[in-house]
Amino acid sequence: MNEALLALLSGSLGSVAGWTATLRESAPLLVTGLAVALAFRGGTWNIGAEGQLLAGALCATVVATRLLVEAPALLLVPAVALAGAFGGALFGALAGVLRAARGVSEVISTILLNFVASSLVALAIHGPLQEAARAYPKSDPFPSAALLPSFGRVHAGLLVALLLAVLLHALLFRTPFGFRLRAVGLAPTAARFAGISPERIAVTTLALSGALAGLAGAFEVAGVTGQLYEGLSAGTGYTAIAVALLARLQPLWVIPSALFFGALEAGAAAMQREAGVPAVVTQVVQGVVILLAALVSIRRRPGARLGARARSEAG
Amino acid sequence: MEALLEATLRLAAPLLLAALGELVIERAGLIDIGIEGTMLTGAFAGFVVAVASGSALAGVAAAAVAGTTVGALFAAFAVYGRVDQIVVGTAVNLLALGATGAGSRALYGGAPPAAPTLGALASGPLAELPWLGALLFAQTPFVCAGWLLALAVGVALARTRPGLRLRAVGDSARAADAEGVPVPRVRAAAVLIGSSLAGVAGAALSLAQSDSFTEGMTAGRGFIALAIVIFGRWSALGVLLASLFFGCATALQFRLQARGVGIPYPVFLMFPYLVTLAVLALATGRARAPADLGRAYAREAS
Amino acid sequence: MQEISKSFVPAVPVLEGVSLEVAEGEVLALLGENGAGKSTLMNVLAGLVTPDAGGLELAGERVDLGRYGPRGARDHGVGMVHQHSALVPAFTVAENLCFGDSAAGPWFRPGAELRAAEALSRRFELEVPVRRRVEELSPGQRQRAEILRALGRGARLLILDEPTAVLTPGEANALFAALRRLRGAGRAVIFISHKLAEVEQVADRVTILRRGRVVANLSAGELDARELGRLMLGRDLPPLERRAAPPGPPRLALRGLSVPGVTERSRLCGLDLEVLGGEIVGVVGIDGNGQRELEEALAGVRRPSGGEVLVAGRRVALSPRALRRAGLAHLSGDRERAGLVRGMSLAENFILKGSWDDRRFFRRGQIDRRAAALAASRAAARFGISPSDPDGDIASLSGGNAQKLAVARELDGDPPVLVAVNPTRGLDVGSARFVHEQLLARRAAGGAVLLISVELDEVLALADRVVALVRGELRSVPPGADRAAIGAILLGEGGA
Repeated sequence: MNEALLALLSGSLGSVAGWTATLRESAPLLVTGLAVALAFRGGTWNIGAEGQLLAGALCATVVATRLLVEAPALLLVPAVALAGAFGGALFGALAGVLRAARGVSEVISTILLNFVASSLVALAIHGPLQEAARAYPKSDPFPSAALLPSFGRVHAGLLVALLLAVLLHALLFRTPFGFRLRAVGLAPTAARFAGISPERIAVTTLALSGALAGLAGAFEVAGVTGQLYEGLSAGTGYTAIAVALLARLQPLWVIPSALFFGALEAGAAAMQREAGVPAVVTQVVQGVVILLAALVSIRRRPGARLGARARSEAG
Repeated sequence: MEALLEATLRLAAPLLLAALGELVIERAGLIDIGIEGTMLTGAFAGFVVAVASGSALAGVAAAAVAGTTVGALFAAFAVYGRVDQIVVGTAVNLLALGATGAGSRALYGGAPPAAPTLGALASGPLAELPWLGALLFAQTPFVCAGWLLALAVGVALARTRPGLRLRAVGDSARAADAEGVPVPRVRAAAVLIGSSLAGVAGAALSLAQSDSFTEGMTAGRGFIALAIVIFGRWSALGVLLASLFFGCATALQFRLQARGVGIPYPVFLMFPYLVTLAVLALATGRARAPADLGRAYAREAS
Repeated sequence: MQEISKSFVPAVPVLEGVSLEVAEGEVLALLGENGAGKSTLMNVLAGLVTPDAGGLELAGERVDLGRYGPRGARDHGVGMVHQHSALVPAFTVAENLCFGDSAAGPWFRPGAELRAAEALSRRFELEVPVRRRVEELSPGQRQRAEILRALGRGARLLILDEPTAVLTPGEANALFAALRRLRGAGRAVIFISHKLAEVEQVADRVTILRRGRVVANLSAGELDARELGRLMLGRDLPPLERRAAPPGPPRLALRGLSVPGVTERSRLCGLDLEVLGGEIVGVVGIDGNGQRELEEALAGVRRPSGGEVLVAGRRVALSPRALRRAGLAHLSGDRERAGLVRGMSLAENFILKGSWDDRRFFRRGQIDRRAAALAASRAAARFGISPSDPDGDIASLSGGNAQKLAVARELDGDPPVLVAVNPTRGLDVGSARFVHEQLLARRAAGGAVLLISVELDEVLALADRVVALVRGELRSVPPGADRAAIGAILLGEGGA
């Protein structure tokens, strides 16, 4: 037990290699954590960050390996990022529209879309996006112009992520749009009477949330792996929920929260190597963290009234 | 044709069992997205016990117990702790994924053995019966259990007093409380019962549909069960029909795949999820969900 | 009940040392203003609230309040009929009557239960359609069903919480007749109300609560309306001042307004109405006759199926923003419908409605927090909102203070038209008086006020003109009509 903990700590925070691993693991968690926090604040339960991340990675790969292969870095890098955001936004918006127009609970639709997204990725890398050699189910490696600048395996995306956290904080608490979003998340009926459309906010929020998650996907392929393959994201989207909840849905607090979970992931790999404890145990920790964090802040959350929306919410 | 029917029933069984479990829980007013993790835990526990004891039946029993245990966790936080149900459900899924994955690696080092499975319900003359034989008796007991439980749950909800009380709690916890019905206790009981059903559904996967346990083998079936409850309009009969529908869709998926129609494999993988989405989107008329679904109840609200 | 004390919030006692007695075959009226503690006291009796101190004796037997609960109440023969129906809406009446019955067997036989319900209905002469689902019933029927349920459980003591709030005058009389029958049958009844007139009709004794304490115990013979009023309020409230004001030009006009309704009865059909500047037009009616629909249409959240609304002579689009821009303000007694967001601060709620175009607080894509805080503080000072911290969460505001905030926000900018819907619902006397004064102030300043309320007294005290909303149509009320005449109009008889 002690051996395992020691391996966990040293593997994550005890060395340069450890810190590198931690930062690398934290980056996607930071961006997707922000995505989830934003969605929850707007009253939408986005459980689909996982799928939105994959959709973003897919779109990013299409741009990098098929559409703009020859483009210079100055054009390609932002294009790849935008493509990622677009892919994620599409998936998020789809769930949002289903909810706004048909009353389909986004809890279920985003989860289902996760599976659709992973299947789409599989489809692509077995087919149109497969590498030229056609030997393995993975995409062509990204042209070097598309890769994010990085040191070790920590890419520039991390800096962008930090910036995004600050921007999101400003968006939520300083802009009229964020103001309206929070109002809907806290009291949709009161917001409606104040002239805010909860339906429109739901779609916009889920689209934005999806865009962030998609961006994280683009960062993963363009900054870490350099190509698209199956199993790209090992539950990042679900861990993001834990990250967001631990951070009490505050964008700035998502940074230390993501670092914590990133360290956990990095350390777990070391723990498995050196102490033989399976890395998958981190999921257990995540689950426990969610429960404890939620217990501590019971009064905080606006209740999710999934069934109540199916009945008439007159006006 | 008969083969299609047989495949439909076989594939629908785990979905039906899990959906019935979720139905009981939702009619009591709680939404348990952790049903996926509950199923997975049941699959794992059933598998482990079956391998260790050599008896598939013991495995099923263990799966039920495991499901109930997960249910107890959910009830503790969602009913008594009044933590948001979505949050608890998500946590349960993560915990189940991690615990079963770690457990599987620890016990079998990544190479789980084959488990004793539950074979056909009855062979011999019963299985020879023209339609009934193939549909019911030549199938694993899970299929038959599914039908019986669907009947039992339906009758229990509509025609028994405890069922009436459970529905009251789900439709108006305030009214039930004012009548002296112990709301938290009824809800917790519903969660325990429903979760044990989900555990058994998991066993249907690891001890019948396949003979092994793989990490994350539920592959979203628990979530499809959630959709089945909505699609089935929160009635036992509706859930039964909806499960058959999804079983049929999956059976068709496998047939088309086997026939190699030239469509790549992942398309088939997407099929059940897309169908679910389409069904949910196109379901006309607002479904009559239990009115208090998803809302925590606290008495001291003057 | 003896010496019951209950505090919900430490240092803010809701009930202090309240003692109460009622005997068999007696009807006791529990009087007091909103917030006096009546509901809380009865909730203790019904087992829904556990008091901090005090004792309870039922039929001469001491009760352990720690283990009491709704079940204990029921076992001891206490039945409660709540102000907001505590029946399961999706169940039929018969199902509601029997699901709590722990003595009966596990099998539920619909046929037998139906017959038992009908027998019960006949026995107590309370007409209730037992086959229908509760959500389809009128408020009067629901109430009778709830009474029936309590009686079916063998209740010897019946508690009714503000029963006439949702009844037409005719239904109220039927209720009183039923209560008299119950009294004759040896039951005890406790009847909560804040309306003096009803009390005189049916009560044998009266206990008056004020601010959580008993201030008087009177018997029927000693009742005097003015005395009762004074005891309830603790002071003589001077009548509202209504100066004669010359009416101005029409500010709000509804022409042929038709709005789809939640029920058939509440659908609005071709409403025509005009409100002039400097006048208060009151719309009375029993809840469920279209008030919700009218409110929502005028707030811009429910789309009409026909007709138009004109503000200052110009046709206005019916969305919340367009209406606000045109100068129509909406005030509601319901926190959510008033657009107050729990979880946001005073200042944030104050500026909530202007996030698109209010340049004072929203400029260059940013929120000017300082300006908002300043404005909110000023409003808090002017209207006496407490606590007045602009960054404080409004969830900590009492009902009265939250309503003051809503008033402050809506009256900000002196809107030419104000639509006030049940603005004093659930408020204590002081806060209600404040709201009334604000409405009159608007009138004096030349504004047009449309007051939609289920409280007849409120409308009669404030309005220059009264119309009745009956089954989605407006009926005019002759000036000087008394309560009985208006009651008749509300029932659908008379009026045009």
